[in-house]
Amino acid sequence: MNAGEREELARLLPYQPELPGDRCRQLKEFVMSEIKPAKRKRRLPRPAVLAPVLAAAAAVAITLPLLSGGAAYAVTKKADGTIHITIDEAKNPEGLEADLRGMGLNAVVDYIPMGKKCSPQPRSESFLSEEEAPLTLWPVPEEGQVGFTIDPRVVKDGQTAVLEFSVSDTPGATVAGIWARVSTGPVAACRLVDSTGAPLGPSGG
Amino acid sequence: MSIRDRIRGGDAEAFEQLFDEFARSVYGHAFRLTGNQSAAEDVLSLTFLEAWRLRHRIDAGGGSLRPWLLGIATNVARNTRRAARRHDDALARLPRAEQVPDFADEVVGRADDAERLAAVQRAFGTLRRQEQEVFALVVGSGLGYAEAARALDISVGTVRSRLSRARRKLEASVADREPPRPAEQVRGDRVPAVRSAREENR
Repeated sequence: MNAGEREELARLLPYQPELPGDRCRQLKEFVMSEIKPAKRKRRLPRPAVLAPVLAAAAAVAITLPLLSGGAAYAVTKKADGTIHITIDEAKNPEGLEADLRGMGLNAVVDYIPMGKKCSPQPRSESFLSEEEAPLTLWPVPEEGQVGFTIDPRVVKDGQTAVLEFSVSDTPGATVAGIWARVSTGPVAACRLVDSTGAPLGPSGG
Repeated sequence: MSIRDRIRGGDAEAFEQLFDEFARSVYGHAFRLTGNQSAAEDVLSLTFLEAWRLRHRIDAGGGSLRPWLLGIATNVARNTRRAARRHDDALARLPRAEQVPDFADEVVGRADDAERLAAVQRAFGTLRRQEQEVFALVVGSGLGYAEAARALDISVGTVRSRLSRARRKLEASVADREPPRPAEQVRGDRVPAVRSAREENR
């Protein structure tokens, strides 16, 4: 479409007011204050801060209950190098992503409600197979606690762990399943679309 | 280091520059989709919070991040509450604006202006959501077909077909509602009411 056509069609657009400068600055301050870690709500020390502790007690698993968003999840870096994830509330995926990155795992996390799935699928053109990169370890339950264990060592530099969690709509229930693969290339953002099939992964499985 | 690399690496200063550059553009797109100043401000704020959350997905190469932001804004406008929950209900902490005057009182001085704008607004409101999104991105925000396709995660062919349907419906609807007027008068009326795509793209 050339500029002339666009100009002509602009008459069919609804009126759109300017955002006043003062209000724009106010909204920018709000956004910047929200993204700066120093101004975030309660947050326990980052994994990097705990590195000496990890080194001193290598045989002991360190559990980091991450409280931003209200104890939504917990991640445990275990002595054998695997990571155990427990999700109590399907919220704050960005926090989980950040904390996994703090543990050296570049991950993309999305929660998929019932009746939805991510679009597009597949979200990467370069997923490794489960045999090539066995990210998820089974069985997963540990001491009666429901959760998932993943092995970050299968994710090499420049690769991304894609984690999709299906979310039950039953009150009190949270995550029902996990789909986890390693991508060697770009990963498309998850846009939730209606689905009558299973919610996870390219084939719903 | 490019602004893409800097933002991807978590550089808040670069992200602030991104806000300065594109906040008004995102707001304009959000307003077209929501028709409401307060909702558009919510979408604007959440779009940048989402952009920060998703910054590691920014490709190293590529041009302006504006189409990417507008794609995020489109998704946020579809489900603002969900986006708010992703950010720990950030909207609850968003400072509210003082009383916002209705645009009809603020800008439109003449009754025929108000009537015509209302007709355009109603016509736009009759479009399907996907048609509104494509029309707003291509005509309102000035994205190319390929950019709009990437922003919405659809094919270029789908962009073209939705745009074509939207145009057809809008032209028919406005023609039905608006009595014909001399060309000069229509052009003159249009200037204060509808900003051009070129202006929007600065």
